[in-house]
Amino acid sequence: MGFGIGDLPILSVLRTRMEWVQARQKVLAENVANADTPGYRPHDLVQPKFKAQGALQQPHVGGVSLERTNPLHLAGFPDPGSSFRSATSGGFEVKSTGNAVNLENQMMQVAGNQMDYHIATTLYKRSLGLIKTALGK
Amino acid sequence: MDFFKTLSVAASGLHAQAGRMRIIAENIANADSTASTPGGNPYRRKIPTFETEFNRTLGVDEVVLGKTEGDPSPFTVKHEPGHPAADKNGDVKYPNVNSLVEMTDMREAQRSYQANINVVTATRRMIQRTIDILKA
Repeated sequence: MGFGIGDLPILSVLRTRMEWVQARQKVLAENVANADTPGYRPHDLVQPKFKAQGALQQPHVGGVSLERTNPLHLAGFPDPGSSFRSATSGGFEVKSTGNAVNLENQMMQVAGNQMDYHIATTLYKRSLGLIKTALGK
Repeated sequence: MDFFKTLSVAASGLHAQAGRMRIIAENIANADSTASTPGGNPYRRKIPTFETEFNRTLGVDEVVLGKTEGDPSPFTVKHEPGHPAADKNGDVKYPNVNSLVEMTDMREAQRSYQANINVVTATRRMIQRTIDILKA
């Protein structure tokens, strides 16, 4: 029952943020890869909201999945492994094939995601640096 | 780590677009391929199709090149009585390949390929940032 450095609120918030960015990058990659698949609708993830003490406001929502009345039922789409809620985004620019992926928009989101990740990792690094300074190393 | 799943999805996109490029190349290369027998049918333009495939191991939606369909639009007919593929009226059927359409299709494939490459580059950079935490 040790309390590791990684359990500090600031670090755990940043870690959740990084996990979210990773999960979102996967979703964006799916959108880009399926940019020419007929009938494909793009997905996005809902931003995690934090409370003052660093806890998630809706702690681990377990994704949007079908209600399972029996433990033997299989978990359905989307991705039961992800703990972030998924939202279908866009859809105002639907091509005649039924595909609603806007490649430019997706590129912007990938770039924004990259910046988000940069911010989170830099803050993580700086926070570790602060602790190191406090330890006198 | 989700980043490796991301790379796998982007790789499936690259693979599908490369396959589409191959089919476009076949169409352009065969734009003048007539039949070898009199009155026979020439090369028929091929159309690539894309499908979403759920990868059960990784739990992601990948893209695969589906069945290649033949374009049902009519062939171009030219009157060339001396041609070895001419029928008894002297008409020769040429492929239903429109090079302008193929060129725009090629640009589109190129653009989608680039978009997938962009995702790979961004993801690689993010992995590098994670490793950089160790160096702090």
